[in-house]
Amino acid sequence: MTTRACLFFLLVAFSLSIEGRAQSAPDESLARELEEVARVATVMVDGDVCQRIMTERALKKMFVVDPEDRWAGADNFDVNAEPFIQTKKTLMRLARLRPYPVDCNLWMLFKENPRQIQILIRNQYEMSRFWTWGVLTQEIPPEMADVLSSGKPKTTTGKDGLVSVLTPVYNSLGEIVGLVEVVGRARMNWQENVK
Amino acid sequence: MSFWKSLYSRAGRSLRILALLPLLAMAALPFSAHGQTVQLEASSEYSRPDPFGNIVEADRSKGENRDAKDSPGLLRAARNGYASFHLTAKLPAGGPYSLSVSFQKPAGLQIDLLKAWYHLHQKSRTYYPDALIPVLNPFQASLPDAENRIPGQTSQAFWVDVFIPRDTPPGRYDGEATLQSGSRRASMKIQLEVLQAAIPEDDPVIVDHNSYGTSWLAQLYPKLSRAQGDGFFRSDALFSLIHAYHRLFYEHRGAFHQLGYGHAGKVGPEFAPALAGVGREKKITSWELYDRHYGPLLDGSAFARTRRGARPIPFVYLPINPEWPASFLAWGEPGYEAEFVNVVGEMERHFRAKGWTRTRFEMFFNHKKRYKGFHWDGDEARFSKDDAPAREFDRLLKKAVPRDSPVQFVHRLDASWRLEDQFKSLAGVVNFWICSTTILSWLPEPLQAVRQRGDIVWTYAGPPAIDEASSAILENPLRAWMWSADGYVHWLTVSPSTDPWFASEGETTCLAYPGERFGIDGPIPSIRLKIQRNFLQDLSLMRALEKTHAPDLLRREVSRRVNGTAPADWWNPRPALANLPPEDWTNPAIDRAVAATQHRYQNWSPRYWQPIRQYILNLAEGGQPQ
Repeated sequence: MTTRACLFFLLVAFSLSIEGRAQSAPDESLARELEEVARVATVMVDGDVCQRIMTERALKKMFVVDPEDRWAGADNFDVNAEPFIQTKKTLMRLARLRPYPVDCNLWMLFKENPRQIQILIRNQYEMSRFWTWGVLTQEIPPEMADVLSSGKPKTTTGKDGLVSVLTPVYNSLGEIVGLVEVVGRARMNWQENVK
Repeated sequence: MSFWKSLYSRAGRSLRILALLPLLAMAALPFSAHGQTVQLEASSEYSRPDPFGNIVEADRSKGENRDAKDSPGLLRAARNGYASFHLTAKLPAGGPYSLSVSFQKPAGLQIDLLKAWYHLHQKSRTYYPDALIPVLNPFQASLPDAENRIPGQTSQAFWVDVFIPRDTPPGRYDGEATLQSGSRRASMKIQLEVLQAAIPEDDPVIVDHNSYGTSWLAQLYPKLSRAQGDGFFRSDALFSLIHAYHRLFYEHRGAFHQLGYGHAGKVGPEFAPALAGVGREKKITSWELYDRHYGPLLDGSAFARTRRGARPIPFVYLPINPEWPASFLAWGEPGYEAEFVNVVGEMERHFRAKGWTRTRFEMFFNHKKRYKGFHWDGDEARFSKDDAPAREFDRLLKKAVPRDSPVQFVHRLDASWRLEDQFKSLAGVVNFWICSTTILSWLPEPLQAVRQRGDIVWTYAGPPAIDEASSAILENPLRAWMWSADGYVHWLTVSPSTDPWFASEGETTCLAYPGERFGIDGPIPSIRLKIQRNFLQDLSLMRALEKTHAPDLLRREVSRRVNGTAPADWWNPRPALANLPPEDWTNPAIDRAVAATQHRYQNWSPRYWQPIRQYILNLAEGGQPQ
């Protein structure tokens, strides 16, 4: 509770009222600022809670291949509201550490399928350097694999000016169970992914 | 002197062209001069000509030859509507040509001549006409068409629309289509019978054309967006373009929707008023973009110069989603309610002050869990726990909007898996239902109950591909009418293939094409959209007939004429599947549940609606229903 209260105080100090301001961070400083958010994210995002987000049922259905029902995984996708909301709110607060549009996305690994990863929580600016829009799961990209194996954050840049910092998420056993992608761009595209 | 004028002065007539037909009839009079002939042929709206002078296979009945003829005969039409047909210029030897269509009596008939674009269907390697490019009348061009680039093209099809104003005197109108190529000439008489009956303004089934966001506009209109640079999405050019799409669908008796937010809550600034502040202090700071976008649509002025006249759009999405206007950060806390109620209350006051009271403003949640933005399915919920947020938003909306507000807010829900449950569990919460056609097909009694309590019910599906019979576009709106539903939604209608012109993937998400390729800063219609419009005219006329004929009787007669069935046959028996929890259903199981009745929708004659239209027109002229 104390930690959360401190974080909230910190956030207020950063004057959160972003509400979609369009001002862009200068390119050269954006990565550094996102790295700072990522550092806090690894501390604040609770991997145990994240591991409870997906329902057991949905996890079981996710990798069942039914050639007659290609949407079965998506149609059965489901989450537990409490851990989802708790984690999403933490990610939203982290994003507000910067006074310009930033998203903190949660990516989670699967025990059932170690080569795959899924974006599990996205946020309001709908930015990601790695998510192929609409896919439920995807192969672990090499940049993420680096972070998962080294435990060290990694800054990447790429398509459409997106700057993305990947940082590990740990559970109470000290295992890396996923990643937070802290992502922003120097020049916001307000129409992208409005669909 | 133009070709058209010279032609008619030679003939000694002083016919002034363009005012055409409501109901036409035409008799082809191919005219052969020396050398190779040129020909004009007309076919009904359901018989699309290909670029080689034949009717496309999809529009031919079983056993019909490639060169089957389908003259529309005498055109008959009610006033305040359109009569239409395909007109094909055939020039086996190619070369420049001029085409004109005209009527003798200056009765106010208005002719629209639209040149068909032949799309090369990638899968079948076959050409299908669909996009329609408005052209001048008379029109001059050459065959083969240099732009369409069809090897061996010998024919060019045109869609002819004749608009018959409401005040047109009933009677027979004679017209003529003329094709001239050098010294070769062909002409065709056109006969249109304008009936006393007039098509009402309102439609019994609202056909909606859905879309998402505005980024597609920049992609489909690269010249226009480049000219505006970074300011395109705030420019008058953008809003003019959006209004042009609304006008196109409105003129084709449809509605148009653009959803303004994404699955994780991102709102395009052009879809919402600007906000600032947090908690109790959250408020609207600017209506500038919103009013430029929606003002002309909500007061009807965007439609002022249309044939149907100025009228506000019937429905519009609100930008409300779990992240707007209240931040999800406050979800479940007092601040969420404060932000929502403050801002939506401000919206209600703004709409009221503007007099925007004829449009239904939709609170609608499109997000799905699978897109990882929020923890419940707003759209097509599968789990009963997902009803709770719908109830909460309904509570918030009712708190924000005064009970006696003249502004019409509606709570819309798109439902499939849990439709039957939600009709009951969300009674009094949701009052606008967009229903899976398949699931609704076994729920006739629940539908009736929902409509009786005053809810609005639409069905949804998508447009047929261009390689299906051209009358396939009628199936879903017809089914909606048979079921007495209020509307039908094509889920996506402005998204052509990557290359719709030379590598079409079927255009199952496109009924309006970008006109920029043809120098038009706006959309151009498709043949499917035209056919749908003419069908909606018929339904509208049927609505008027319900004043003097029992609605059940009309449906019975139409059903019998469509496929020899009774209205009850348009429903499916409630399957055993429906007794299982929806989370245990699978898509194949749903398909199997309705498979036994699918034959009723198959193997219809491509031109099945033609005699039904005549039946409706006869009724409108005082004929007996049976």
